[in-house]
Amino acid sequence: MAGVLKATTGLTGLAVAKTPHHTLGVLYGKILRTLQKMPEDAAYRKHTQDLIQERANILQANLNVEAVEKQINCGQIEEVIVQAENELILARKMLNWKPWESLVKEAPPNQWTWPPAQPSK
Amino acid sequence: MASILRQFAKTLIAPTARNAVALNAVRFKSTEPAEVKETRPTVRKADIAARAQLKDFGKYCADCLPKYIQKVQITAGDELELLIAPEGILPVLQFLKDHHNAQFSNLVDIAGVDVPCRTNRFEIVYNILSLRFNSRIRVKTYTDELTPIDSCNDVYKAANWYEREIWDMYGVFFANHPDLRRILTDYGFEGHPFRKDFPLSGYVEVRYDDERKRVVCEPLELAQEFRKFELEAPWEQFPNFRGANPASEEVDIKKTQK
Repeated sequence: MAGVLKATTGLTGLAVAKTPHHTLGVLYGKILRTLQKMPEDAAYRKHTQDLIQERANILQANLNVEAVEKQINCGQIEEVIVQAENELILARKMLNWKPWESLVKEAPPNQWTWPPAQPSK
Repeated sequence: MASILRQFAKTLIAPTARNAVALNAVRFKSTEPAEVKETRPTVRKADIAARAQLKDFGKYCADCLPKYIQKVQITAGDELELLIAPEGILPVLQFLKDHHNAQFSNLVDIAGVDVPCRTNRFEIVYNILSLRFNSRIRVKTYTDELTPIDSCNDVYKAANWYEREIWDMYGVFFANHPDLRRILTDYGFEGHPFRKDFPLSGYVEVRYDDERKRVVCEPLELAQEFRKFELEAPWEQFPNFRGANPASEEVDIKKTQK
């Protein structure tokens, strides 16, 4: 650990992370492994993989927590951990939902017209 | 005589002056870009950059969730709407909440719309807010009187009361809701007051009965026979808005799907 531990995050209910590099590394590894189970051409997999890979690279390149926060530019490191946890939950649920498949159901005609189409008299 | 001459001169000059103005306008138009700049102080200026960003985000969502998103549109100039199939309400909301690029962590409101002439008469509208990116998005889906819709209580805890409100006002049933009861109407109330076929006067009236010395609730009695009023006027109401901009602009998501 290079940086000095700060006293607080200033956010209610969010404790200071003691070992952010380890936690984030594990989370990003889990997310990437979950994404591997999705089909190659799924847009969600591609976008998320790029994003996580980029963050993982930043994490590996910098030992200083402040530098990581500055480069990721998405809040404090604790918030970044929360985001990664959320993404992991989402990715695991996505495996069941399979949102990359084709449209489940077309909308009925005139469902989304506004002002609403008048019934024929 | 002089005054008559002057009048003649006016009529002669006027058309040429108008022509000159028209010519000027044409020249003005040809030099300007296609988007006309808004100069009236009381009219809101369109933010082209924000709009392009919203469009991109709409395409991104449609790209990630092609199974559920039927249509993406921008309304009122700068409000992004995702129109989705009712099956996808949980996946879409979970994606918008938990994905790194979305982080719409606040559910601001759930609203309902009743349009009786449609086969699926109810629209359910979710307004959500991302504090991280300071942006809002609207998710719309549809249902009818009998089809239950998935409760998003597991995704957003705030949905609990909002869904009870929708159930109370419109009678849309939410599956897997932990506590689906009436929330706004009185004890023993029957019917769903925001439905278009609910009468304005209600079905019952409550009054104080002097003989029984208490408040009684009785079926409504109208003093006058119900009449059907002809509200349609024979003339056009807002001729100035005949060629007005459409209410929403569709974002093309077909290209990204292929």
